[in-house]
Amino acid sequence: MKRVEVRLSITAVAPLLDLIKSVADELRTHLAVPLALSGTDAELAAVWRDDLLESQRDDCDRLFSLFDQEFFQEGVVAFDRDNAEPVLRACAALRLRFRETHLAQVGDDTLEALEASSTMGELDEVVQKAFACFLFLDELQKIILKYLDPMAVEEDE
Amino acid sequence: MSVQTERRALWRVVFLNDAVTRMSYAVMVLRKLFGFDEETATKHMLEAHEQGRSVVWVGQRENAEAHAFSLQQWHLSATLEPHEAG
Repeated sequence: MKRVEVRLSITAVAPLLDLIKSVADELRTHLAVPLALSGTDAELAAVWRDDLLESQRDDCDRLFSLFDQEFFQEGVVAFDRDNAEPVLRACAALRLRFRETHLAQVGDDTLEALEASSTMGELDEVVQKAFACFLFLDELQKIILKYLDPMAVEEDE
Repeated sequence: MSVQTERRALWRVVFLNDAVTRMSYAVMVLRKLFGFDEETATKHMLEAHEQGRSVVWVGQRENAEAHAFSLQQWHLSATLEPHEAG
């Protein structure tokens, strides 16, 4: 897998990073997806939870390592064999958490329509920023998925 | 005797729909974790999307747990259920 460099708009992305970071901080102690082990022994559930939280933390750390000095100078982030999958997972976890918290008041149909049009519609100002983060994380996923399998993303469109 | 029965019992891993996750992401993860071809992974993704759930694996409990854990690591919702044949 070759290294791929993607140029992002610093002025569009940088203002989103603080909010994304605050949601990533929540994921240090909250799972993005509830445990699948309901009704089984508590000891195993605790081990799973700890391991999954550690994995979430590592993935989010990999995502934020994209936004280094090179990004703030050139607007460039780079994906390679080592970080593509962790960053994909981090984006998935963050989007789920945004949906559950900052975007909880937005209905599924509204969100889907806004996503399709990539517009903010009539969202409150506070919600607009969360939605912008939600869209940005989706764009990052699209870029990586397209890189891993060029046919994959077209099927979503 | 009951322990042996318990050990032989089959479990299924059920992949659950969510309204957030990108379809191509779910397909990629199902292919990666279960070795499905594109068509099979897409079938499971669409089944979950339309019916809310899709059974993606059946087997011994220990392996079923490992699969469910992997799905959770990729933030796909899943649950484990005893498999009733037929």
